[in-house]
Amino acid sequence: MSRFPELLLAAGLGLWLSASVAQGQDATAGEKLFSRCKACHAIGEGAKNRVGPELNGLVGRKAGTVAGYRYSSAMTEAGEGGLVWDEASLRSFLGNPRAFVKGTKMAFPGFKKEGDLANIVAYLKSFTKDGKMAGIDDQAATPARQEAEKIEAPAAQPPQAKAAPAVQQEGAGKVFGLGRLATADEIAAWDIDVRPDGLGLPVGKGTVAQGEKIFDESCSSCHGDFGEAVGRWPVLAGGQGTLKDERPVKTVGSYWPYLSTVYDYIRRAMPFGNARSLSDDDVYALTAYVLYLNDVVTDEDFELSNKNFTSIHLPNEANFIDDNRAQEPEYAQKGEPCMKDCVPGKARITMHAAVLDVTPDAQDGDEAPASGIE
Amino acid sequence: MARVSAPDTAASRRGFLKAGLAGGAAFASALVSARAGAAEAGGDPAITEIQDWNRYSGAGVDQSPYGMPSPFEKEAVRRNVPWLTADPVSSVNFTPLHALDGIITPNGLCFERHHAGVAAVDPAEHRLMINGLVEKPLVFTMEDLKRFPRENRIYFLECAANSGMEWRGAQLNGCQFTHGMVHCVMYTGVLLKHVLAEAGLKSSAKWLLAEGADAAAMTRSIPMEKALDDCMIAFAMNGEALRPEQGYPVRLVVPGFEGNMWVKWLRRLEAGDEPWQQREETSKYTDLLANGKARRFTFTMDVKSVITSPSPQAPIAHGKGPLVVSGLAWSGNGVIKRVDVSVDGGRNWTPARIDGPSLPMALHRFYHEFDWDGSELFLQSRAVDEKGFVQPSKDALRAVRGVNSIYHNNGIQTWHVGTDGAVENVEIS
Repeated sequence: MSRFPELLLAAGLGLWLSASVAQGQDATAGEKLFSRCKACHAIGEGAKNRVGPELNGLVGRKAGTVAGYRYSSAMTEAGEGGLVWDEASLRSFLGNPRAFVKGTKMAFPGFKKEGDLANIVAYLKSFTKDGKMAGIDDQAATPARQEAEKIEAPAAQPPQAKAAPAVQQEGAGKVFGLGRLATADEIAAWDIDVRPDGLGLPVGKGTVAQGEKIFDESCSSCHGDFGEAVGRWPVLAGGQGTLKDERPVKTVGSYWPYLSTVYDYIRRAMPFGNARSLSDDDVYALTAYVLYLNDVVTDEDFELSNKNFTSIHLPNEANFIDDNRAQEPEYAQKGEPCMKDCVPGKARITMHAAVLDVTPDAQDGDEAPASGIE
Repeated sequence: MARVSAPDTAASRRGFLKAGLAGGAAFASALVSARAGAAEAGGDPAITEIQDWNRYSGAGVDQSPYGMPSPFEKEAVRRNVPWLTADPVSSVNFTPLHALDGIITPNGLCFERHHAGVAAVDPAEHRLMINGLVEKPLVFTMEDLKRFPRENRIYFLECAANSGMEWRGAQLNGCQFTHGMVHCVMYTGVLLKHVLAEAGLKSSAKWLLAEGADAAAMTRSIPMEKALDDCMIAFAMNGEALRPEQGYPVRLVVPGFEGNMWVKWLRRLEAGDEPWQQREETSKYTDLLANGKARRFTFTMDVKSVITSPSPQAPIAHGKGPLVVSGLAWSGNGVIKRVDVSVDGGRNWTPARIDGPSLPMALHRFYHEFDWDGSELFLQSRAVDEKGFVQPSKDALRAVRGVNSIYHNNGIQTWHVGTDGAVENVEIS
């Protein structure tokens, strides 16, 4: 039933073929694959809804929106939720329809080969809304990944935020078919980040007392016995109530908004010079000890674990605000700046850098700094 | 004999120059007299006597397979301020802005900031992983990355803490130290959005976590909107491979945003629906205000400028007469529209001349030439960017933020020039 061969000739056979070969994506092969679809779907000029909706102009169409077709409520909701058919979402859907849109009434189990997916999508893409073949599109073509025969997510991915339909975002880039699938073990080896909502926390536990022992051995040489710090190494404890002072002391207890940051940072970067040497339980114990040093917990037997972690909040969390620089008076008024007689009187020096004499290479460069870099 | 004494004379003159360069004020007044002496009796020995380099042949090719600057330029080096940080492994040094011109920073002079030293990464063993809210988690080799279409872009990179030591008042004598945590190079790399498209972002992916391969496993959360706009994955700077201290073999380029987000030794990108609240975006790189509140996610680097010469490390050595005031201006909002220069501490301003390329989110070079009458000057520069943002005074910033912000100090810098040509970092009223 396809009118594809005629349209192909009209579009210029040689040019089209060379373009498709160069991109490793084959609408002609896709047309053959479409034989598995056409029992239910029509495409091309005059195509009507059948068991499934007609497919002209599918790419760019919001899911579940062909007039006169009765969709599953799942598909209608997916469209309302922002699902727009593009190359990426089509590939996901056609790779495993019922996994991608749970509750779709399409019975087709999905194309399992990457090459097939690329080709069927290329074929579907080639039809405009009115059933004519679109111009040659050498953009967004996807060669089959040689390494990956199947599309399937690695079995044991770390927990992720709520699943969402794959939809190419606005401003998304081109697909070139580079790279290979990451394995579950590879992701587990590197993805160790932890968020305030607990996403990424490993199973484990540790007590204040256990943490103190590790701290004395591995941390106190820089951070001091009680988190007070040696030299200019970071102070970990104390400083509560000093944020408005002339010399604020910014510690986990006085400044840090989230406990997850403590766990995450110890786990990825501590002890300094021997990163990734602590076990997950060690990190729970150290995090518990840092809470104890800051009087957030007061019991030496307190045990921190992945189970009670998110119930603990640091005192300064509410004092963080988003960037509002644009509202400051020096920025809010974007007028022409003054050019003449802007300040009355002659300029008078109120402070010399040389008086502090903290410039490197200066003769007496030992004076304490007014503020450092963190 | 003249032939024997000539090298000695040259050597002692070099010694004198070196001593002067280290000295500052003494240097300025001494050189003025040296200049007067040059034309004495019979002429300038630099002309009347045959110089070594004019008599003896020099080094052959390959003496220095990777070329180095002239030994006379040994003052143009990065310097650090040891008391700023606990340890040089987690520290910062500064670009010698006073010794540079144009808008491009030479690779070896770009300031360094590491959180666990310079990672020595073997590019053959380097991988970039994309995971999280993507259709397919992927791994790329360096070879893979170089198969995406490449782009060349010139951008400044400024540490959010640049000028951070000056919140409480003038401290450091030299624009290298007050403003040297900035550099500007041409990056070659690939657009981040193409690399992300390979993995297929899910619609809920609103943030991107970038992670380095160094021993701090440096991480920052980047808004997806920015990631898909103009961010790059760069593997070259100024035409050659990235320097190790700048993230070899690959770093993130986040144009106009604070330098800490330009993750070096980039090994992983994770898509997520919320920021991760990592150490460098909560306990650090947040701006504590006078009322005890702290701003976070202050990404954009504001409009800023500084006069690089004359400046404390580059005093006026030539006395009265024609003087070139030279400086740099930049803004994370786009191109610099105008730079004004004041010689009287901000009472009156004159538009400066911007020379060279004017590119968005790149350094701009400006000049202001005039005849110096030898009287004291209070030099200032003030930049205006394409969005109409005007560089504020330091006091205007202090009035709304207090002095504990550390980050994002883009206030107008004042250099006092004495009648002897010596230059000092001052605060004025």
